[in-house]
Amino acid sequence: MVDLYFAGVDVGSLSTDVVIIDGGSNVLSEVVIPTGVNGSEAAENAFNSALGLAKLTRESIVAVTATGYGRASVAFATGKTTEISCHGVGAHHLFPKTGTVIDIGGQDSKVIQVDSQGRMLDFTMNDKCAAGTGRFLEVMATRLELDLDELSSPLNISGESAPISSTCTVFAESEVISLLAKHTPREHIVHGLQRSIVNRIWSMVASIGIEGEVTLTGGVANNQGLVKLLEEKLGLPLNIPENPQTVGALGAAQIACRKY
Amino acid sequence: MMIPNRSEYLKSLAQSGQKIMGVLPALYPRELLWAFDIHTAEIWDPPGEILHANAHLQTTICPIVKRSLEFILKEPEIINAGYLFPHTCDSLQNLGTQVKDLIGVNVPVYTFYNPKGSFNNTTTKYYREILQNFQTTLETVYEPLNPEKLLSACVLGHKIDSRLMAIQQARMTNHLSLDNSAYFELMRAQEYLLPLDYLNLLGKIDILEQAIEPARARLMVSGILPPSPEVLKFLDELGVSVVADDLLAVSRRIPKFPMDAPLLPLDYLTDRFFILPPCSTRAGDLEERLHHIDKLMQASQAQGILFDIVKFCEPELFDHRLLVKTLRERNIPVLTLETELQAYLSGQDKTRIEAFTELLFDMVSA
Amino acid sequence: MSLRAELKYKIIKDYGAPALMAFQDLKKRKPRPIPEAFGPPLESNKRLKEILSRHYFLARYVPGVKKVAWVTSGAPVELLRAFDFYTIYPENHSALVGARKQGADYCSIAEGSGYSQDLCSYARIDLGHLLSGKTPAGKLPKPDLLFCSNNICQTVLYWYKAIAHELNIPLIHFDAPFVATEQTEADINYMAQQLQDMIPILERVSQRVFYVDVFERILKSSQETSQTWGAILNAMEAQPAPMTIFDAFGHLAPIVSLRGLPVAQDYYNILREEVDTRVAQGIGAISDERYRLIWDNIAIWYKVRFLATFFAERKMNFVTATYTNAWAETTGYLDVTKPWTSMAKTYGRIILNNNLKHRLDLMKKMIKTYSVDGMVMHSTRSCKPYSVGQFDLRKAITADLNLPAVILDADIADERVWSEQQIHTRLEAFCETLEGSKHG
Repeated sequence: MVDLYFAGVDVGSLSTDVVIIDGGSNVLSEVVIPTGVNGSEAAENAFNSALGLAKLTRESIVAVTATGYGRASVAFATGKTTEISCHGVGAHHLFPKTGTVIDIGGQDSKVIQVDSQGRMLDFTMNDKCAAGTGRFLEVMATRLELDLDELSSPLNISGESAPISSTCTVFAESEVISLLAKHTPREHIVHGLQRSIVNRIWSMVASIGIEGEVTLTGGVANNQGLVKLLEEKLGLPLNIPENPQTVGALGAAQIACRKY
Repeated sequence: MMIPNRSEYLKSLAQSGQKIMGVLPALYPRELLWAFDIHTAEIWDPPGEILHANAHLQTTICPIVKRSLEFILKEPEIINAGYLFPHTCDSLQNLGTQVKDLIGVNVPVYTFYNPKGSFNNTTTKYYREILQNFQTTLETVYEPLNPEKLLSACVLGHKIDSRLMAIQQARMTNHLSLDNSAYFELMRAQEYLLPLDYLNLLGKIDILEQAIEPARARLMVSGILPPSPEVLKFLDELGVSVVADDLLAVSRRIPKFPMDAPLLPLDYLTDRFFILPPCSTRAGDLEERLHHIDKLMQASQAQGILFDIVKFCEPELFDHRLLVKTLRERNIPVLTLETELQAYLSGQDKTRIEAFTELLFDMVSA
Repeated sequence: MSLRAELKYKIIKDYGAPALMAFQDLKKRKPRPIPEAFGPPLESNKRLKEILSRHYFLARYVPGVKKVAWVTSGAPVELLRAFDFYTIYPENHSALVGARKQGADYCSIAEGSGYSQDLCSYARIDLGHLLSGKTPAGKLPKPDLLFCSNNICQTVLYWYKAIAHELNIPLIHFDAPFVATEQTEADINYMAQQLQDMIPILERVSQRVFYVDVFERILKSSQETSQTWGAILNAMEAQPAPMTIFDAFGHLAPIVSLRGLPVAQDYYNILREEVDTRVAQGIGAISDERYRLIWDNIAIWYKVRFLATFFAERKMNFVTATYTNAWAETTGYLDVTKPWTSMAKTYGRIILNNNLKHRLDLMKKMIKTYSVDGMVMHSTRSCKPYSVGQFDLRKAITADLNLPAVILDADIADERVWSEQQIHTRLEAFCETLEGSKHG
């Protein structure tokens, strides 16, 4: 089984991620590239780079599971599964005591409950509005003329936070504009925005409940300020994967292996 | 199964001189209108872009109300006998008076109150009086009612009810070979076909002697309208069959149990109203609704339930929280979709539905 | 009912509450300075605060002494009073939470438990309170009974149904058929019969007997109080008006939640005397009243002060509102000799249960009577019966009366639905139009 190789391809709205594993679940390579306008091309490119990094040929990969927004557009996939199942499986693999997965992705955020095998028991997703997603932060970063990394710098969380009460991205943006007009320090606004996302996520978590350890996945898990606030709000520590962005692809690779 | 296209069918009816009344959701004494030779064409979710209605309604108003108003504002010729606004919710209540008293249309506007809350003798007596008053109103516009005609309208309605019950029963027990799309197309044809045409159509549906192989996963749906054709088709593709429903537009308008053939029309219509399944829009009891859903799930062996909620629909949203909470406690998989009655399936909803079926399949195979 | 609880309640009522009120008065910080734009504040404000604090304070000692009912603002509470229920008005409580700018906190508790963000914020706040026990009023007693009427909206019925289920207590619903054209005999008889059907249930829950003379006395008191409230509102026809509608939003609380009780009547006698005196002396609520406005829909509780100041600074005063008028409009129908049918008329015909032609005519009449120069409509996410139709009402009123008008999109108690920038721009533009129209 160790000589068999599996790949997971996660074509998300912002980035396309590929993970290659062997039959023993060891990760051989991981690649993250921007999705751009053409998902199938991005999948192709990311897959090729991952093969190169792992020093493998296409033929040696026996099964590929595609996931994410563009899962239907991955021509070389042998199966497809939603990113919701994949994040559950991936998070469970990294942290076997995981009972709840919070994934804050580019377009969606989700809360997933998994059983002791990593199988999904229940899930909830944000509504259509982008508040509470990576997209929300991106819009606000543009408005604040900060790049995303600056937005995620660790903050003094006991510091002051500007009130951002709106739950809608468009409304929140106009609140940010008023705050800027009043010369509110940018770090207070950033803090307020993070609080607003955390409240949003908290509502989703509350609606399905917490079981076991909680693992945070998706690119937003790199945002240290937000992670701290979320831990504070939930009252428990979060498992943060080393590469939170590729958990979906990792789960997809695992599923490819399980199904093989 | 050939079901005529809604707008073409109504157009040709209107051209042939048929009186047609546009009826908004949801509960109304259709037989009474039929007895005046008025055809009832229901308006739930007219397709197309919402444009003019936005000048009359806020953004936070439900899409059924908005789409209906968009339709009414076009003053369609097929609606030649007026509009009927049954009292269903706050928004439709206000839309009725808004259209009648502020916007104005070129045909008459009627309203019909449906009592709310728990029912007793006082309610029954009142409902019968409402029917009587509605009859009087129609008599002042048209000729005096012919009692024979009302009785035969009730008989026709009774036959449709009976046949629909049989078909729903067959659906729950795998004795119907229709996919999701075809099944709900059939259910929704009652919104616009002449009652006799609809009865004939129902008569042509095969109820199989032998049960067919059940689908890979079985689902019950709840909400106002059936899921959009796009959702139904997607469920068909995934191998999921919708086997039972708690939808206002479908089974909440069919009596809970068979009724005797009508003898006294107004008594029959009154009885019928009070044995409809529990409904959020009548503020029916929550326990009773849960019990009703339970019964349907058991009878149909559904493994999960899909709530297809119309955005901003207050009556459904209040009930929804308790229903979901209770079903979750019983480990029944629940998925909620929010719809604005748009004619496409968003990527996000696709993911939701697919993830939900992954969960159902896992459960079936476990 | 335990003797001890009863004794404790009596002591608290007669000695504890007055002492506390006096103490609160002592420790009160210096009052906020009144901006120049305003006239002298109403003396009655102090008494109002006392009455309301006392009502919420006493509520803590009520369990075991009186049965507690949660009641909607449009419900025929006179019937409950005949059984001596202690009444709590969740709508009033939610408005209080909203005014303290805590609406979003309570709403998110309800949202976290699965209630949609699209639901009425009064309901979400109340459910948030129920699920968490949180309240700015210290502590609210749990209800023994729920009493609601859909004459203000269907929402209250869905909302109370949810509470009834949550707490497993009885819900009495007064079904008020919407007046699409006019009330029919059948409507009136149906409502009258429902009220009479309630008596045995109320007797059972309250363990008290129904006495018709007690009921008639309450009905009479309620009618008098409503009429006094009406007279107070009428006093605002004076130029300058002796109070602003933002004051009235506060002074509304007793007529909504204490009508039928002597304390409400006593209070409005005081208030009426004060406004009448102010009229006689020509004292206005704002120091220089140049423009007179009408307000439509429920208050924006978290922005009352902001709006009051914004308009006062521009010499604009709100002198009438469909909202405050709602508790005075139909009381003329009350008739102690025909309690049941007259209650059916009073409670069945109130503004939100009546068609939009009625509303349009009423608003036009108010605009004329109160010499109104402009109209502000609050379009509120929470309240469909108050908001659906406003666009066309506005069109009809501006066209027929040539009256400048503006619509503000906001919410009654969820402060997250407030776009400062947008509202400011709209208000400024409205004021410019108004100034232009009067002097142009």
